Amino acid sequence: MHKPSNKKRIAIFLLLGVAIYFLSGAVDELRVYQGASVAVFVVGIASIILLTGYSGQVSLGQGALLGVGGYAAALMRIHFNTPIWICFAVAILAAAVAGALLGLAAARLSGPYLAGTTLAFAVGLPSVANQFQLLGGEQGLLFDVGFPPLSFGEDFTQYKWFFWIASLATLIAIFWLQNVMRSRYGRSWKAVRGNDVAAELAGINLTRNKTLAFTLSAGLAGLSGALLAMTIGTVSPSAFPLALSFSLLTGAVLAGVTTLGGVMIGAVTLVAIPDIAGAVASRFGSSEAVTNNLPGLLVSALLILTVLFVPNGPVEQFRARREHRVNK
Amino acid sequence: MTRMNRRALITASAVLAVAALTATTIPAQASEVGVSNSEIKLGMTLPMTGTASPGYNKIPGAMKAYFDYVNANGGVNGRKITIKVEDDRYVPTEAVAKTNKLILQDKVMALISPLGTANNKAVAASVNPARRGVPVLFVNTGFSGFADTKKYPTTYPILPSYVMEAKIMAEYIKDNFAGKTLGLVYQDDDFGTDALKGFTQAGVTFAAKVAYASGSQSAATAAGWVTKLSTAKCDVVVLFGVSSATAAGLGTAAALKYAPQWILGSVGGDATTIKASGVPAGVLYNAVGASFAPATTDAEDEYVKLFSDIYAKAVPGSAFDSYVLGAMNSAFVAAQALKAAGPDLTRKSLMAAIESKGASFASAALLPLNYSKTSHVGYSGYWFGKYSPTGDLKPVDGKYVLYTTDSGSGAVVKSTWKRPAMPAKGLPN
Repeated sequence: MHKPSNKKRIAIFLLLGVAIYFLSGAVDELRVYQGASVAVFVVGIASIILLTGYSGQVSLGQGALLGVGGYAAALMRIHFNTPIWICFAVAILAAAVAGALLGLAAARLSGPYLAGTTLAFAVGLPSVANQFQLLGGEQGLLFDVGFPPLSFGEDFTQYKWFFWIASLATLIAIFWLQNVMRSRYGRSWKAVRGNDVAAELAGINLTRNKTLAFTLSAGLAGLSGALLAMTIGTVSPSAFPLALSFSLLTGAVLAGVTTLGGVMIGAVTLVAIPDIAGAVASRFGSSEAVTNNLPGLLVSALLILTVLFVPNGPVEQFRARREHRVNK
Repeated sequence: MTRMNRRALITASAVLAVAALTATTIPAQASEVGVSNSEIKLGMTLPMTGTASPGYNKIPGAMKAYFDYVNANGGVNGRKITIKVEDDRYVPTEAVAKTNKLILQDKVMALISPLGTANNKAVAASVNPARRGVPVLFVNTGFSGFADTKKYPTTYPILPSYVMEAKIMAEYIKDNFAGKTLGLVYQDDDFGTDALKGFTQAGVTFAAKVAYASGSQSAATAAGWVTKLSTAKCDVVVLFGVSSATAAGLGTAAALKYAPQWILGSVGGDATTIKASGVPAGVLYNAVGASFAPATTDAEDEYVKLFSDIYAKAVPGSAFDSYVLGAMNSAFVAAQALKAAGPDLTRKSLMAAIESKGASFASAALLPLNYSKTSHVGYSGYWFGKYSPTGDLKPVDGKYVLYTTDSGSGAVVKSTWKRPAMPAKGLPN
């Protein structure tokens, strides 16, 4: 299949950046905030696609890695007052280190054992915050990236600032990820995912490749966590619950876990579901119990439908169908 | 042809989806956001689903019951009060997202009773209601920091702080259990740290102090607490944690036949929630508990009588417990604040009314409110009682003895304040 050249890709990303710039000026503040949330989810879901879709490993603990990134960024900001981009860089590094350690263990495990280990990680890590005064306990820490520069004008809201930072970070992260996927490592991961014995026979070091995938995926999760902490202004154990790990996994399945192309679909769905559920509930004037449980119901239904009808995600399905037609 | 149809279908769905996302409600035609000639819109976020929701998910129903009662009796200055409730599942990220929706899309006039310290901190940092001039009425947390008028100028706490509670509990212990060996179980975070601060300040020393990490409480960990407490031969044990910790502690101790005099903090002392976690009400019997509102079983009390009556009609079959009473009381105080702000209701006039007249608002509590230009502290005291065999907190010998203090270094004193009679029909006056 034809893949766009690097020049073309750079142009596409620049165009996307310009589109986002104009979009942020055209919509109201709530949509701008939701846009920032979409960016957070795009990076988080991409980290799962890299890990699960490309290297074939399962993580139920991605939320905890987001937490590592969020706390690292907040601690840097509070104790060293570093510029935001350094906070993000440290968040990526800290989560990557945690991911490398987890990855070393994960490389020896597979299937339900790997799922169990990462799940334990997600359950256990948040309570660490309660063990050290430094981490601020249940109430967490503030993460204040500061006001937007005055030169942007007085109408430039805080959320627009968050949105810009998050979008820029996301564009860079996805561009980088695409490059990694197209590199030797990306191809090795795909080989491992396809058949690890065959891959090993072809000279691919399984442990090193799996650990590397875990490390890079964790780095992305760390970035996502730092962006999340920015949008809510704080980090606390309850901001990185088990449910977050499952949401990201759901998003990845909706997006089509083997391709980056659908990552926006997953992220937008996660952010839009509560809105859609609210609109549906108020349209039909349903009872409180229905209103409260509708978002979860919608997500579950979508998940089941996706797995049943487009198991590789809508984008992959679309591409496969087109290729099928072309080849006929 | 099929292809054209499919493409048309995809395009149509995309357009529909975008339209659904960008559709916003029509703003009210009035001088203030969330206030029209006929309606006042309030918004709240709290856990309605998830592990933290039991007990708390009764709050919106209780508040709506009272507001509907006010609305049926002419409303406040001719306007009906409505509340928009959003489920945050006790996750700060969702609290921020839902609060943004309430303020930016639903255009509520004020937030009421948002719950949880971490959630409220995240909302203050990200949504920043203070910068937007949005009042945050009667936050449901005892974190003393929210009374800081410089940091949270539009936030009005209503519960006594954890520091106050610990100081008052210390005084009660000195009055009733002098010379006994004391034990303490507390949550290892700001909630517990605030409590420790209060106990230390009051000069109470514990023979055994057990800290537990939030979320770690279970029958298994509670067995460890019991071992520590019984080894230190504690006669009186303070359980200053959340309901699930109280339930685990009491249940496990009963199973291990360890029976000190228990004293429960107000956060973890709601009998319905403890019972809902599977612990028989009997283990609560004779434990000491604290409250600032009258006992929910106090049929003599005019507020309890009225509120339980309204609640029974609005939500048939639901137990009238301390969460319901607390929520209806907050709604009652809110209605008075809205009334006191006058017919030209604005966010500013609402806050000005609380600061100038808040201290004289009627409420079901047995203590006065402390609102003023310089103070955003709500209630500042407690009475102590014992749990009945059915798990209801009642004052000893039917007499409420009230203690009051501050979050600072002030002394604990017995309150002589007498609650004024309820306004006619329990409507804002």
